[in-house]
Amino acid sequence: MCDSSEKLVAWLDHELPANEAVQVERHLDACSECRGRLDAYKEVSAAFDAYCDAASWPRARRSRALPAAIAAGAVAALLALFLVQTRVSVPPHARITPPPANPPTVVRSPASSSATVTHLPPSPMENVRHRHLVATAPRPDASWPPAEPAVQIAIPAEALFPPGATPEGVSFVADLSIAPDGSAQRLRLRPQLIGLERSQP
Amino acid sequence: MSGESVPIALPLSPFATDSVEAATLYRELRKPLLRYLICLGLSSDEAQDVVQDAFLSLHRHLAAGGSQENIRSWLFRVAHNQARNRQNRYDRRFGTPIDAEKHLPLDQATPELAVLEKEKFQRLAKAICSLTVAERECLLLRAGGLRYREIAEVLELSISTVGDTVSRAMKKLVEKCDV
Repeated sequence: MCDSSEKLVAWLDHELPANEAVQVERHLDACSECRGRLDAYKEVSAAFDAYCDAASWPRARRSRALPAAIAAGAVAALLALFLVQTRVSVPPHARITPPPANPPTVVRSPASSSATVTHLPPSPMENVRHRHLVATAPRPDASWPPAEPAVQIAIPAEALFPPGATPEGVSFVADLSIAPDGSAQRLRLRPQLIGLERSQP
Repeated sequence: MSGESVPIALPLSPFATDSVEAATLYRELRKPLLRYLICLGLSSDEAQDVVQDAFLSLHRHLAAGGSQENIRSWLFRVAHNQARNRQNRYDRRFGTPIDAEKHLPLDQATPELAVLEKEKFQRLAKAICSLTVAERECLLLRAGGLRYREIAEVLELSISTVGDTVSRAMKKLVEKCDV
């Protein structure tokens, strides 16, 4: 057994210091036995990787159905929430105030004075808790340019899912636009972790 | 993050609308983390939970002014320790060889798996089960793309121990698989 054979795996993983790597490379040029070992290590590495995929893949595949089901449920819940809200008689001051006609595509932060936070009176859907309803200008989003006045609704995750179903601190923002007849259209739900931006430099 | 504006952009990335850097991290590491956890023996649902928790821990860690060095090994360590805490199901997966017939139906085989002959696969399965826990974990983390230094941080070993363990484990696999 050659001395360098002990270092072949480390060399394969680019973990050797430069001087030792050079030694191993010189040795590999001269020793066909070690070249064979190196090939075996490469083959086993690839096989191990494939084995990991095989062990986790059937499960990983099933798990992909779960977020889709959650998404479908969330959309249904949101639609129900919004449709109920539109039927409820809302005091004028609590109505969603659409931005001026032809809203600019440049977008202001929700922190600007145009954002209003209102608390709706209790609706028939008592089990769905909506903490706040934010009417604001649409966010910048090239792939989703709203043609009509748009609103954002922030929804705490626990209003949509049973306790423990979503990680703590996650809420959802629904972007939707309102057609002239008052119906909600172009609904898009986005998960959001509030306050994360503070953690970034 | 407007690039991710697929309608209803789930799975639930905690970083969906925030820092691009954090979102990139999530996209890159979510799958390797899931695979590592499932190979350690967690169910898919458990693994998803652990990964979400790990990223939320990362968020708290960074928000509290924690170090931004070695985030990858930091995440793997958090996930690894959480998996350890679910020890009752820990060795379920790699403790028993997975069945090639069951896990490698032809229509599901990736190109890598297609070239992996069934017999060789079974030998490998047995060989992996004969490894020590440390050897298995080192190889799993190595397969997850971690450097020896990072593996050492996750498993709280020295770098030279990781090097020796990986080398020994690979030698065992080569011998037992008769490659």
